[in-house]
Amino acid sequence: MAHYTELNIGPVHPSIHGILKFKVKLHEEIIEDVEITLGFLHRNAEKICELNYYADNMIYFDRMDYLDAMNMELGYLTAVEKLMDMEVPERAQWIRMIVAELNRLAARLVGIGAFGLDMGMLTPFFHCFIEREKIQKIFVEASGGRQEVNYMSIGGVYQDFNDKIINDIKEFLKEFKPYLEDIYNMFMHSEIFWQRNDGIGILEPDVALDYGVTGPLLRGSGIAYDVRKDAPYLFYDKVNFDVPISHKKDNMGRFILKVEEMRQSIRIIEQCLDKIPDGPYFNNKAKKSMMLRLKGDGEAFSRIESDNGEFGVYVRGNGTFKPWRVHVRSPAFKNISVVPVLAKGMMIADLIVIIGSIDTVIGEIDR
Amino acid sequence: MNLLTRIHEWFSFLGNPVSYGIGYILETIFIIIFVGISFMALIYIFRKYMARIQRRIGPNRVGKFGLLQLIADAFKLVGKESILPKGRDDMAYKIAPLIIIMATIISFIVLPFGDLAYFGSLTITHSKITLILLFGILSILPIGEILGGISTRSNYALIGTMRAVAKDVSFEVPMLISALAIVMVSSRSFVTGNAISGGFNLSTIVTDQIIPYGIIEPLGLVVFFISMIARASYTPYDLAESDSELITGYTTEYSGMRFGFFYIGLFGMVYLGSFFISIMYLGGSNGPLTSDLGFIYLFIKTDILVLIAFLVWVSLPRIRIDKFVNLGWKYLLPLSVINLVYAGLFILYIR
Repeated sequence: MAHYTELNIGPVHPSIHGILKFKVKLHEEIIEDVEITLGFLHRNAEKICELNYYADNMIYFDRMDYLDAMNMELGYLTAVEKLMDMEVPERAQWIRMIVAELNRLAARLVGIGAFGLDMGMLTPFFHCFIEREKIQKIFVEASGGRQEVNYMSIGGVYQDFNDKIINDIKEFLKEFKPYLEDIYNMFMHSEIFWQRNDGIGILEPDVALDYGVTGPLLRGSGIAYDVRKDAPYLFYDKVNFDVPISHKKDNMGRFILKVEEMRQSIRIIEQCLDKIPDGPYFNNKAKKSMMLRLKGDGEAFSRIESDNGEFGVYVRGNGTFKPWRVHVRSPAFKNISVVPVLAKGMMIADLIVIIGSIDTVIGEIDR
Repeated sequence: MNLLTRIHEWFSFLGNPVSYGIGYILETIFIIIFVGISFMALIYIFRKYMARIQRRIGPNRVGKFGLLQLIADAFKLVGKESILPKGRDDMAYKIAPLIIIMATIISFIVLPFGDLAYFGSLTITHSKITLILLFGILSILPIGEILGGISTRSNYALIGTMRAVAKDVSFEVPMLISALAIVMVSSRSFVTGNAISGGFNLSTIVTDQIIPYGIIEPLGLVVFFISMIARASYTPYDLAESDSELITGYTTEYSGMRFGFFYIGLFGMVYLGSFFISIMYLGGSNGPLTSDLGFIYLFIKTDILVLIAFLVWVSLPRIRIDKFVNLGWKYLLPLSVINLVYAGLFILYIR
């Protein structure tokens, strides 16, 4: 009979993304079985949302995928505005698109940097975080918040973009474009990086569909599904961008894909900056004095493409100032559940890299 | 007149045994202090250099330009509480860090340090078998790693120990065979052309290197350098304490100064290995102008090697354990054997 070692990776471990536990059954260094334990960061956000006014729930969504706060807010607001039949002015929608894409860049930078760190690559991590810092400075200028921005509000955004912010974004993109290639090359020119990722963590397309996987993980398996393209929200149908896919199905393909998506995000932001019109930045029906007097009735579901995949929000109102039910379809939860499939038969070092490649954010899973 | 005889003369009124004893002790302390200070300076340079690579500023708060940062870190480490894990094997747990630190420090007194103007020769050990002695001391290190890993009864430490043993076994062999090639080449003197029996004596190896052996045996130099980085557990070969998988491997359950000993041992190992390489392959204390500055030449060569090892450290990801052992057995071992055959042919036909 084979001898097994049981290893508890997490909930507190230097390389796990957030606090979750992997109970790993090891035969020497080969993984026989992985059992995931979640719930260490559960904050009851969905229930708390029922106790608050519609406009007050933003901060709980900021803290779901805390790396991608703008997209979380966007997901909630899209649902709430659908529920209230609230019109959003055109300028506000363009602004929302810009900040959503900027935040996608920021979240990807963290993901890629931490992915390198999972393999013991120290240097790219710092480079990624320095670039992310610049994005956060733009957010501070716009909203006052670095990570938990609380920028969007029902019927528009909290504050208009001034010329300085637009110039800052333009300047940032100009510097960032060659820099992204530098970071990319830092990884790709390393033979060991290829060794560690090529052919590791292969996810077959049918398995991915069975598990409900979305986002870069699904596109990395060769299925071109992107909510921005397939069910456009905001003005994603008015800008040109590609949905890259990879047929490699492994960590390497996913990494290349993620960087390619960052390039596409830059493309989107540039087009947005050209097309952004003048006009009001919030709907007068939702001005600040009226913010807490907004009522919702019926039900609404919205889906957006967050950093991790398809982020869905279901909101049901019963005609009062507070939502009756809020439910979140978390992409990271579906993505992390595929880890045991990918890690089976791999070595323990590969498990860490696979988790890094999936790049989950635990705040969104546990809510 | 070297340092030892000088000190012996100062204390000669105490009689020969006592004065020589004092001489050895003072010389050893001098060397250890000098090596320690130079290594601290090197770590400061490295931290600044690493910060440049990573677009940071680096230490700049403690002392002028952050020069005292390392001392502050050392004090912090000493002041930390040493948390003892439950269910440990107490004796083994406490003795393991001492083995590591002692073996690392003792190895430095075997090296031929060359001359330094007023002090004369700073070599402490005048033995004919210093090379064997050095390898003997180095082979104590794995014992400390194994004791430290197993005594804590932690699964992370256990896997870390497994990897540490695999590392030591698979990289000690190419290291030894490369050193053997050096012994073969130096068994016939370059100076006189005669066969000499000083091949195991590091001092003879140094004085004999009119041409650095690294030029004669570049393959051996490469194999030895890679093995040295691997045995010192530097990224990309830091599998035994890979922080993203095994927290810190066999030192997981250590804290405070006990952990500090492991850490110093790890850093000291790469310094020692670089000394070793610069003595065996790069001519040691031989220099271009005067032999009075041999000590300085040796340190310059060593520091450059350490900085190369550090550069590898900051720029590469970690290799996987199976690929790592493959590297040792499938690539470095055959290469070192080829190097050995080449050394044999070299002394037969070219010399």
